[in-house]
Amino acid sequence: MMKNSIQRYPGESKWHGLLYLLPAFVVYALFTLIPIVETLRSSFFEWSDLGKTSRWIGLGNYLSLLKDASFLKAFSNNLIFIFFYSFIPIMLGLFLASLLSRKRIPGLTFFRTLLFLPQVISMVVVGVIWRWMFNPAFGPVNLFLSAVGLSHWQQAWLGSFEWALPAVGSIGTWVQYGFCMVLFLAGMQRIPEDYYEASSLDGANSVQQFFSITIPSLKAEIGVALITTIIAALRVFDLVYATTKGGPGESTLVTGYLIYRSAILNNQIGYGAAMAVMLSLVLLTLSQVIQKLMSGNEEEIG
Amino acid sequence: MKKLRLIFFLFLIISIALAACGKSLQNPASQDGKATTLVVWDQFYRPEESAVIETLNAEFEEAHPGVKIQREVKVLDDLKMTVKLALAESDGPDVAQVNQGRSDMGAMVAADLLLPLNDYLQKFGWAKVFSTSVASRNSFTADGMTFGQGNLYGVSPTAEVVGVFYNKGIFKEHGWSVPTTFEDFQDLLVKIKAENITPIAFGSLDGWNAIHEFSAIQHLLVSSDYINNLTYGVNNVSFDTEENQKAAQILLEWSQAGYFTDGFPGIGYDDSNNNFKAGQGAMTITGSWFAPELMTGTDQDFGFFLLPGFSGKPTMAIGGVGIPYAIRKTTQHPDLAAEYLNWMISPRAAELWAKAGMLPAMSLPEDTKVKTDNLFGETLYAWDTINKNNAVGHYIDWATPTFYDTLVAELQKLLGGIATPADFTAAVQEDYANFLQEQNK
Repeated sequence: MMKNSIQRYPGESKWHGLLYLLPAFVVYALFTLIPIVETLRSSFFEWSDLGKTSRWIGLGNYLSLLKDASFLKAFSNNLIFIFFYSFIPIMLGLFLASLLSRKRIPGLTFFRTLLFLPQVISMVVVGVIWRWMFNPAFGPVNLFLSAVGLSHWQQAWLGSFEWALPAVGSIGTWVQYGFCMVLFLAGMQRIPEDYYEASSLDGANSVQQFFSITIPSLKAEIGVALITTIIAALRVFDLVYATTKGGPGESTLVTGYLIYRSAILNNQIGYGAAMAVMLSLVLLTLSQVIQKLMSGNEEEIG
Repeated sequence: MKKLRLIFFLFLIISIALAACGKSLQNPASQDGKATTLVVWDQFYRPEESAVIETLNAEFEEAHPGVKIQREVKVLDDLKMTVKLALAESDGPDVAQVNQGRSDMGAMVAADLLLPLNDYLQKFGWAKVFSTSVASRNSFTADGMTFGQGNLYGVSPTAEVVGVFYNKGIFKEHGWSVPTTFEDFQDLLVKIKAENITPIAFGSLDGWNAIHEFSAIQHLLVSSDYINNLTYGVNNVSFDTEENQKAAQILLEWSQAGYFTDGFPGIGYDDSNNNFKAGQGAMTITGSWFAPELMTGTDQDFGFFLLPGFSGKPTMAIGGVGIPYAIRKTTQHPDLAAEYLNWMISPRAAELWAKAGMLPAMSLPEDTKVKTDNLFGETLYAWDTINKNNAVGHYIDWATPTFYDTLVAELQKLLGGIATPADFTAAVQEDYANFLQEQNK
């Protein structure tokens, strides 16, 4: 069907259309393709003299990576971040979206905008704001806890070995849930009102409706939300850079920050490149798997 | 179709023209020999500092007709990231500030990016401007491997000393005086805590300043030879020593006794400084660079003293010279660039820095009219004292390329109660031993 829809003027070359892609392709190649290939190439070398000389070491960088405790720690932190960046925001997004779409709430647009706001603020600004929020000396988080009589829950959030990772993670939740919510809200507007009407005539309550109508209809949206938020969790750099720089100890170290530290600060270009390649491979695989899972047979509602 | 094709070609032509313009804009009239442009990158972005550089640059241009200085200011993080690549380019900066230590200056010397300054050292008589101990901080062997000896690669305009800032108002109110021994200092901490005042304002969230808290105590326990050996990676010293453990132990005790700001692991350096400036906390341990900030915009009165030595032992303090100016090896104007360096460490520069409240690395002219009966004067006195006593220590994080990261992480573990002082020194020694082994390969 698609094949027939492309129409060509008689005598027009088959490659003519590609010419129009050229400007965009040049930009894409220059700033995306070439850097990717260069990174891949760099990862097989050991670089010295700030990149002037290099020595082929094959998979050497990759082998040392697997033995590097810092890298493994950073990567496992990334996996924990998936919980905060993806799982909670999607749950929260579903919950808020169903609230906002089903009930008539006065000032709906206002609330929707308010809840989406964190998504549009630059990550570095978010980091700076939350550093103050979590500040033990004057931060609102601890002030709030003491105001409601929970002073014994007060923490040096970002500097605590137990709490720094959940604290940074929850900033991620705060940023991501608005995006999920708006995505789901848009999806819900697609669901025909008849489904809900029919099911309530059959005696279904709103919880049953949520699980049998809303969730299955939102499969595509949930897939998109999963992919974007998981990617965000795995490639996080700015937030950690702006809040903890991986500390205390290595408790909030993430792969993105480790790449920056190795390649840019400590001049280990090949090693940093190898890490970047590994991270990209994991990202690619994960998003492929999610896409496969989510594009399976569209479940019928009935 | 035709229209689109036309637009496409127009687009091409315009972009080629723009690219050509960009090229020609980079070399304004330098061919005809009328104007020489000296490109300088520095990291003096704070307003008080930037004003000093602007003044010096304007005076340099005035004294050298036909020379134009094209200044680019970056914050240190940005400068560190870009300058390594820029100095390798034939149109990179002629003069740039290059951070000391192995991963910056050392790496750049190894990559043959910096001009050795030994000839200019002779020509301008810089030996009279700064001591050999200062020069060695900006020196590397030509292969970039051995720190602290060999060629001179940079000259530093400013100096730094880490000591104790104290709130004079709080001290006066309670009748406390400046301690003269470390034992006195420890007693004072107890007294201040008893009054429900934070003895030492501190925040370790940013990590690096914890190195200073630890190392300030360490400097009172070890010899100056040890600190030199450790920093320059010579004579095979170890980090896992009794003295370093004791320093870590004292730091841990301070933290456990509540001498630091409540919740200090979650407070950043600047936030902690702002609290101290606002009168929260009797003292804070940091570098003299904090002085200009404490001299304006506050109604509190602050003083500065060196962390005093154990009774009967000398007082050594972390200190040194600020980030040096270096010259790109392939510059077209090496002599002019060297003259610029000489200008930046002139008596005039010393005076301007002093007026701004920053310690100059050079001595002030005899007839100076700079006010010294203030906080700046107290930091100057401390700097002069350690210089006279040959007690200028080091930033120990220069010792290995990864020492900074290791020290920050291990100190956070120590203060977080995850590691003991013995664990701390052992973990840091592991990094140091690896480095020595790599170096001697």
